[in-house]
Amino acid sequence: MKKLLALVLSLSMLLSVCSFASADSLAGEYDIKIWVANEIVDLTKQQVEDFNNTNELGIKFNATIEAVGEGDAATQMVTDVEAGGDIFCFAQDQFSRLTEAGALAKLGAGAAKNVTESTDADAVAAVTTGDGTLWAYPLTADNGYFMYYDKSVIPEEDIDSMEKLIADCEAAGKNFAFEMNTSAWYLASFFFGTGCVSEWQTDDEGNFTSVHDTFNSDKGLIAAKGMQKLVTSPIHVSSSEASALANGAAIVVTGTWASSAIKEMLGDNMGVADLPSFEVDGQEYHLGSFFGFKLMGVKPQVDPAKAAVLHRLAQYLTGAKCSLERHAAVGWGPANLEAQADESVANDPILKAVYEQKKYGQVQNAIHGSWWDIAKVIGDEVKAATDEAGLKQALQNYEDKMASLFKLDANALLFVGAWNGWNNADDTDTYYLKDGVLTLDVPESDYMGGRIVKPGDWGTDKGFAQVVSGAEYIKDLGADNPDNNIVFAEAGNYTITLNGSEITIVKN
Amino acid sequence: MSQNKTAGAVAKRHMGLKTSRRIGNTAIYILLIAMSVIWLVPFICILLQSFRVESTWQVGYVVPQKWGLDNYQNLFKTDFPRWYTNTFIAALCTAVLQTVIVLCMSYTLSRFRFKMRQPLMRFMLILGMFPGMLTMIILYRVLKDLGMTQANAVPGLILVYVASSGMGYYVSKGFFDTIPKSLDEAARVDGATRLQVLYKIILPLSKPIVIYTILTAFMGPWGDFVFARYISFGASAGKNVAVGLYDWLSKDQINKSYTMFCAGGVLVAIPVTILFMCLQKYYVEGVTGGAVKG
Repeated sequence: MKKLLALVLSLSMLLSVCSFASADSLAGEYDIKIWVANEIVDLTKQQVEDFNNTNELGIKFNATIEAVGEGDAATQMVTDVEAGGDIFCFAQDQFSRLTEAGALAKLGAGAAKNVTESTDADAVAAVTTGDGTLWAYPLTADNGYFMYYDKSVIPEEDIDSMEKLIADCEAAGKNFAFEMNTSAWYLASFFFGTGCVSEWQTDDEGNFTSVHDTFNSDKGLIAAKGMQKLVTSPIHVSSSEASALANGAAIVVTGTWASSAIKEMLGDNMGVADLPSFEVDGQEYHLGSFFGFKLMGVKPQVDPAKAAVLHRLAQYLTGAKCSLERHAAVGWGPANLEAQADESVANDPILKAVYEQKKYGQVQNAIHGSWWDIAKVIGDEVKAATDEAGLKQALQNYEDKMASLFKLDANALLFVGAWNGWNNADDTDTYYLKDGVLTLDVPESDYMGGRIVKPGDWGTDKGFAQVVSGAEYIKDLGADNPDNNIVFAEAGNYTITLNGSEITIVKN
Repeated sequence: MSQNKTAGAVAKRHMGLKTSRRIGNTAIYILLIAMSVIWLVPFICILLQSFRVESTWQVGYVVPQKWGLDNYQNLFKTDFPRWYTNTFIAALCTAVLQTVIVLCMSYTLSRFRFKMRQPLMRFMLILGMFPGMLTMIILYRVLKDLGMTQANAVPGLILVYVASSGMGYYVSKGFFDTIPKSLDEAARVDGATRLQVLYKIILPLSKPIVIYTILTAFMGPWGDFVFARYISFGASAGKNVAVGLYDWLSKDQINKSYTMFCAGGVLVAIPVTILFMCLQKYYVEGVTGGAVKG
């Protein structure tokens, strides 16, 4: 009976695989939900209609299109993936959150190849995780900031120098709007300009494993000095709103989303350019920036046929034709290479500035959510600093906060055991060996043992065999200890020191 | 002579009193005027901004350069009427249901004496101390299983708003307690049922508290944001005004929708303002009346 059941099941599985593989069977009607930004809701409706009419596979979508902004999509998706959009657009910085939440379906081999060939290489890199899997379709390549300025105040020859821009603004009594005090996204501009990096590594599932960050360095100090020039100027306002221009600013650093409003505000006086350079100790540094993409994701599906057709639709919507339609309608800069090469896109002055600034930009890959709050205070601290020591202190504060938060760094080891309930993904600060030292309370229990591991890993990194001093406090279990555990003989407070591969135990 | 002197002194003293009172009054009025200006400025700004048609983004001045009703007209081209209807239905249903439940509850606890009455009241008091937000996630799950989220959020929201309303009986029970029990007894002797006592004797005597209950029941759903956002996520058809309007403030929409947002804000304020103006007299009585006896 069991065999029969197994046979039936495997046959049905085979059948379903067959049906999945053949394109004909994709024909049918599908009820789907699409989440896009408010301004392209109508356009997307039209584009899905076009897909229904032109595809040769007999696929018909009954699409409900909802306006959910790209900035908000991850929060909304993570609330309840099951009830979220089947296809949804989001800004690149939410990529890791969505992969962690399991809200994105992998691209199949065919789709991945297609996307890799037809799309901006940086954009492809942005949707690829460590093992080479693609998780989303790049929608636009314009999510960065650059400079809008009022031509009636700023002469064109000055736009390459931050010092001249500040002087022009001061002379005209106008403001220079650059969001330095409340946003790490904008503030990183100075650091990237001097060659600092903040790069995060993730594993295949999108979990953060380590960070390489050089903000607290000589280059970072140069960046802080440059930033101080701007933020201590009386004409600096910390804003990235288009409305700053209506409120007395002559320059505002913001992105493409503000372009239509700014065009209306300034009319023919609107100037657009990449960010300027700043000078420290006779050396020029061009301001860097974050550069990101808007992506289109497909939610994992139960029904394989629905998954297949959704991926087809997503490819269509991010393809050259739809990208050009979006550019024409709302001015979005496409990620698709064919669309990028199109005359209408190549001659768009705003996108020109975007791409010019992109040369100095850092692609915004997965960044730990806490970084934004840790980094954004640099602006205020730099403003408050009165001398070089103050600037150094601001950077040191930043590094301290980073260090206290990310024990994920490969060097940090966790002493897992009875005292923390054998939780090897312990988030609390209590049981990590900082600089190789840990003081811990061992509570009374039947088995007062544990071992030193890499967080999230059970393999013994260091244990009983490595103890060189303090053996009197621990039990020698001999063959009874296959995991190389350190088992304390009695409860108490101990200090564990790890030096290279030698462990010293001292009872306090 | 001496009399004159005294009269003069009295007059002087009188003058002194008058002046000092005048000074005191002036100071108080200045303070009150300053306070009301501070209170009213945001509303006036929103009102003025909603009539500004020369631009749609935030600007650094208050009085519009060009006046018009474009923002209000544009509101009706968006989903705003739907959001408004949603909010109105939710608020109205909640106001009716919650008022009925609260008044029945208060009447029962005020007039009936039954076993477990005291423990029940104490139990509800403790239960009411838990912040409602704690239950948000589990309520979402339950509503989702019932199919009352996203586009169908309105019935779900009504259910949630009304569900625990029985526990808000304190103020009205306090008010009912102040009405002499002998009135009930007289009516009962004349053959009235318990229900008749409630709506023929008690309710006409407690107009302020009934109105207070209706108002608070209406205001809760009308201004709700957190719960409505959570329940209606990702579906415009299920949003209420607060949630819908909030989305217009995102960075890619604010430049296009700011003045429209203000117009929406004004329309949201209108029914509540009218309601309060008409019922203000009773409202104050209701708040203070219930406080006489707990």
